[in-house]
Amino acid sequence: MGLVIFYVKKLFKIFRNEVLVLPSRVVVGLFFIVLLGLPLVTQDPYFIRIIILTSIFAIFAASWDLLSGFTGQMNFGHALFFGVGAYGSAMLNIHFNIPPWATIPMGAIVAVLAGLIVGIPCLRLKHTYLALTTLAFPIILLGIIIALPDISGGELGMTGLKRITESLLGNYYLHVGVFLVLAVIMWEITDSNTGIIFHAIREDELAVKASGINTVFYKLLAFCLSGFFAGIAGGLYAHYMRIAGPSTLGVDQSFTVVIYAIFGGAATIYGPIAAVFILFPLLEVFRLWPEYRMMLFAAVVLVILLYMPEGLIHWIRDKIEKECPRCKIRNIATRKTCRICTANLD
Amino acid sequence: MKKCTLGWRMLLVACIVMAFSLPAWAAKTIKIGVIGPMQSLEGRDHWAGATMAADEINAAGGVKVGNEKMQIVLIKADSNEDKNITDASNAMERLMTKDKVDFVVGGFRTEAVFPMQDIAMDYKKIFIGCGAATDALCDRVGTDYKRYKYYFRGTPFKSSYLAKTSIMHLLACAAVIKKELNAPIKVALVAEKLAWTEGMVKLIQGYVPKLGMELVGTWQPSANATDVTAELSAIQKSGANIIFTVFSGMVGITFARQAGEFKIPALQVGINVESQKDGFWEATKGMGNYVFTMNTYVQGVEQNELTKPFMDGYKKRFKGTPTYTADTYASIKYNLVPAIEAVGSLDSDKLVAFMEAREYLVPSGKVKYEKNKDGVYTHDLTWGPGYLTSVGCQWQDGKLVGVWPNNWMPDPKNYPNLKITYKGMVPIKLPPWMKKQ
Repeated sequence: MGLVIFYVKKLFKIFRNEVLVLPSRVVVGLFFIVLLGLPLVTQDPYFIRIIILTSIFAIFAASWDLLSGFTGQMNFGHALFFGVGAYGSAMLNIHFNIPPWATIPMGAIVAVLAGLIVGIPCLRLKHTYLALTTLAFPIILLGIIIALPDISGGELGMTGLKRITESLLGNYYLHVGVFLVLAVIMWEITDSNTGIIFHAIREDELAVKASGINTVFYKLLAFCLSGFFAGIAGGLYAHYMRIAGPSTLGVDQSFTVVIYAIFGGAATIYGPIAAVFILFPLLEVFRLWPEYRMMLFAAVVLVILLYMPEGLIHWIRDKIEKECPRCKIRNIATRKTCRICTANLD
Repeated sequence: MKKCTLGWRMLLVACIVMAFSLPAWAAKTIKIGVIGPMQSLEGRDHWAGATMAADEINAAGGVKVGNEKMQIVLIKADSNEDKNITDASNAMERLMTKDKVDFVVGGFRTEAVFPMQDIAMDYKKIFIGCGAATDALCDRVGTDYKRYKYYFRGTPFKSSYLAKTSIMHLLACAAVIKKELNAPIKVALVAEKLAWTEGMVKLIQGYVPKLGMELVGTWQPSANATDVTAELSAIQKSGANIIFTVFSGMVGITFARQAGEFKIPALQVGINVESQKDGFWEATKGMGNYVFTMNTYVQGVEQNELTKPFMDGYKKRFKGTPTYTADTYASIKYNLVPAIEAVGSLDSDKLVAFMEAREYLVPSGKVKYEKNKDGVYTHDLTWGPGYLTSVGCQWQDGKLVGVWPNNWMPDPKNYPNLKITYKGMVPIKLPPWMKKQ
């Protein structure tokens, strides 16, 4: 009993000293609680559907950030991984009758292979050239899909996919649960040594090479990891929508994910996630003014990018928190001195 | 005193508001969701057809359901499906769960209609598709009747019948060329480079030699091409006297305009969606003369006695000719409402049993639902003489006129006396520069 009390006290202490000290961490904690507790407040199928799809696109947006935001390898064809995940999982489900809980990770593995296929020829490319080359890959795959209608369903896509579960709450907790777990994994990757190397590659690849780090390996690793997470999102999407169609590989799909990442703030993981959780439901709210819906959406994105070029979440975080100039630890904006090194924050 | 006056005033206002809104609470309504890409012509016509039907029915007192009269209330849902499939499925879910509609009409892009169909079936709501032609949408009804029986095709007939009709048009044009020019038929196939044309291209390539015609080549320009002179000069050199077009995009205008400017000695027939629109003549500066295309409605052509009142009503209200997606009108007025009145209920299962067995007239022909080879209803539309055939139309001197079926013999071997002609048909005209060859 004493041991339990000791650990509870320790947990509370960590919570008080590590979470409650920063507003951004409190917001993340609340976000987890709200998401997991939402069905206790409402089980409206439309609302649940929007949150499920938001969760799927949040994984997709964060996976782009992992590759392009962190390593700086600008991928304008990210729909390739999403589409490969969707089609891979759909083909396994339809042609081999494998259940969705198995086809989704298998589809993601196919997306990892796609990551390698794209990553290897792109190793020598940078900036605009890389962006344009990656843009071509989903278009090439789309051509292959249209050319093989017996296997891929052609222009109509693959229909009749099974959902993992038919239960409303089952679907909610499955998708939201997978999203939260994958978001934490992606965050942990970027916070690890690998993440630091990703960062360093973006800032100065030559310096990283000079430090004896195999940048080729890490750049390919970023492609594969990003492909894996986007592939999971694609597989979840295909089974939830019960169709894997050519639109999963569409150019607009690739650009939407870039919009999400830039809107929220690139190289953060949480930025693109927050952006999807703001923009996707907002588009539904704008159904109240159907004629102006897309115009309002574009206006919101433009205004944010105009006044907050680093992204909305960066901007908000800079308003509520301050970084210590000496130890680089973040503090709540109301503090005058750093909570760790007591340096003056103003 | 002042307080009392204010209280009385508030009470009076409340009473007036309640009195005026009483009929609205008292009357029960039938909610019909109209889903489509509302920012484009197809979606706007979904809405136009549905509003026409609802207004006519409500003005006549509403729908008699058992012993009570109900008014129709339409709920507009912009699916944005031409751009975003996820958006389209969300719009359908919203119709089902937020707006709680009783029925849905609409849908346009096949890839979007599949998930929409699944959602409607989840809620066991009748969904009448008014836009997507893919066979597979109704094949699903036949293979999994229990789940998909709430889906009906409203318009157009399935894509394999669209191809069949195009072949009929090709034969009609070939007959005129043979009669007037006594020349062997040489066909140039020009299809825009889009996925939907692939099946059509293969079919025409396979069929043309079987019909005793020569296929001189296949050209596939971009759907948005702004110059097709290279293709046209190659077609001219090939000696083709028929150009079979498969266009849905802006290339339909470019091709027709440039072919007219160069006076290519060949008749254009097939599908050219842009030429179905009223603005085609102006868009081609009159160079689109003699272009022949498939259509559902043409001013002056009457498939039956319902065509003219519909066309006139549409023209009066929306100033133009309806496209096929405006058949939401027929789906509501001639399919849903008579079924509800006959069954006396809004229960989907009872209605399906009644609707699938009916044969009824609509402005574009007569509807009868098909069964598959196992005898299970697919709720697909029957094509052929006496049912739905569509109309072949041609631009003749600034006017889009009906030219097919005109003395069409659908089965000359078995029924040599059966000839189909719709009221208002005129003969196919060849471009004068073809005759000077």
